[in-house]
Amino acid sequence: MIKFLIKGILRDKTRSLLPIIVVSLGVFLTVFMTAWITGVFGDMIDLSARYTTGHVKIMTRSYAENKNQLPNDLALLEVEELLKTLNNEYAELEWVKRINFGGLLDVPDENGETRAQGPAAGKAIDMLSPDSKELERMNILKSIVKGRVPNKQGEAIISDNFAEKFNVNVGDELTVFGSTMYGSMMFKTFIVSGTISFGNAFLDRGAIIIDISDAQMALDMQDAASELLGYFKTGAYDDAKADTLKSTFNKKYSLIEDEFSPQMFKLRDQDGLAQYLDMADSMAGVMVFFWIIAMSIVLWNTGLLGGLRRYSEYGVRLALGEEKGHIFKTIIYEALIIGFLGSVLGTLIGLGASYYLQEVGLDFSSITKNVTMMLPQVYRAAITPQLFYIGFLPGLVAMTLGNALAGYAIYKRKTATLFKELEV
Amino acid sequence: MDIIKIENLVKNFPVGKGFFTALNDVNLNFGKGEFAGFVGPSGSGKTTLLNIIGSLDTPSEGRAIVMDKSVSELTHKQSAKLRNEHIGFIFQTYNLLPVYNVYENVEFSLLLQKMSGSERKKAVMQALEWVGLTDKIKSKPNMLSGGECQRVAIARSMVKKPQIVLADEPTANLDSKNSHHILQTMKKLNEELNVTFLFATHDEKVMKYLNRIVTLEDGKVLSDKQNNLKL
Repeated sequence: MIKFLIKGILRDKTRSLLPIIVVSLGVFLTVFMTAWITGVFGDMIDLSARYTTGHVKIMTRSYAENKNQLPNDLALLEVEELLKTLNNEYAELEWVKRINFGGLLDVPDENGETRAQGPAAGKAIDMLSPDSKELERMNILKSIVKGRVPNKQGEAIISDNFAEKFNVNVGDELTVFGSTMYGSMMFKTFIVSGTISFGNAFLDRGAIIIDISDAQMALDMQDAASELLGYFKTGAYDDAKADTLKSTFNKKYSLIEDEFSPQMFKLRDQDGLAQYLDMADSMAGVMVFFWIIAMSIVLWNTGLLGGLRRYSEYGVRLALGEEKGHIFKTIIYEALIIGFLGSVLGTLIGLGASYYLQEVGLDFSSITKNVTMMLPQVYRAAITPQLFYIGFLPGLVAMTLGNALAGYAIYKRKTATLFKELEV
Repeated sequence: MDIIKIENLVKNFPVGKGFFTALNDVNLNFGKGEFAGFVGPSGSGKTTLLNIIGSLDTPSEGRAIVMDKSVSELTHKQSAKLRNEHIGFIFQTYNLLPVYNVYENVEFSLLLQKMSGSERKKAVMQALEWVGLTDKIKSKPNMLSGGECQRVAIARSMVKKPQIVLADEPTANLDSKNSHHILQTMKKLNEELNVTFLFATHDEKVMKYLNRIVTLEDGKVLSDKQNNLKL
């Protein structure tokens, strides 16, 4: 009997091909949309982690309270010792030190007099250590517009916008004015080794990036740093793990009575990201939920129409002596076969398209270049384990449910009434 | 020996708040090997009577006993079993399953009986031989003429070697030549296999082949007599 049913499914295109296409399409869209939403929110979180928050961040308690003012007088001290401890006790993370500083960029003319000045948003990262991943993490190599990244102390890269505006070229000198960690005046001259554009107004505005050793020297911050950032070596943010790390670290090292004691923050705790992440989660959940409901209704209808179209066949089968229950069972078997094939196909196509967008992404840099929010330039889909079932199950269930509903009419009707309705 | 006994049969259908009486106090008996028909105008109750005999419907009052089983006392499963084992149906519009070929259409009833493959093949080929369609086993219904489709339908109803074949207007969609061919085939099967054939018809061509004609009007048996016009 199963062989007989399969023959029917294969030969009757309106019974097989059309429902399979509809199921595949629904499942594909569900998988793809989920991957896309997950990927886009993931990219935004990842961007934030790479540039500012890390997966976890350590600052002094006072620095954390005033961090918008970049208060390097409240920076972490004895960071090498602290880094050694962190690398021992929290080895699942890669730890990096960073210094954020503000100031004024002064561009001299050929006589050494001020030609132009502008505010600076400085960031000091480890660019010169051979094993540092900071250049890659902050996407600096790919963001260089002119010149190159610094390869020795005393060099800096600056925002391409700033360079254009003040006619600064690669090889020119540039002086940074600011204040040291101890409040005295600081000025330090750098050679511009290159210009950079992250394609995002938030990151590009007045940016100057120097090596951390230069910053420590210039800002009188030997063995000090504004913050220590930790990144999970897996590359993915794990909120539960981060929470455990935060609790254990703060319990052990963070003292309420000591404003200079280190305090660990996880990604969610920073810059209002908790609300953003929760909203992202609920938005993604709500979108996927409504999408699945809509697709289920479409698939349900497909099943229902398929069932109704074959009413006269069911009438003949009743007359030939097939039991109503048996007809109902065969309807369900067929729906399961078609739903399974459609769901597998839709999931595979959805995963394929998501994989492509995960690897290649969609470049929105031309749209986001003037956006002052920190947004990624390239949005990518993300393949997660839930993609393997999020479309598959609704595809299978909706198709079966639709056919079951059509079959239910056959099952519940009196044979005589049904036989008349079946137009035999 | 009677294989169909209709006793004081009444069939009412609900219409609005009242009832429409399709069959009213019908009493009939049919023996094995009869070639009989119900004739009468539309709405006279011919098809309703066939449906009750075929266990697709139940009487409102009275009894219909088919193969020693009272139709109104059968469960759904028992009704299906009775149809599957003992009753064949032939419809006006053939109602072949369009995606299956001739062989598979005829084979379908036997699949429900869980017969072995070799037995099924033998039975199907024999049924197709009876109707002269062994050369068309791979053809789909849309490749056949109306007459050929109806012959496939006859083979489908006969393949399980039923005791009773119920034919509802079997020639209504056929031309004269095909109608005669079909009727001759059914007559031959009736005589050779001693199968009871019951027709619902108002086609005079069919009436000429019948041994017995039961005339119905407004749900009542107007006459029940041997056919004098028989060919």
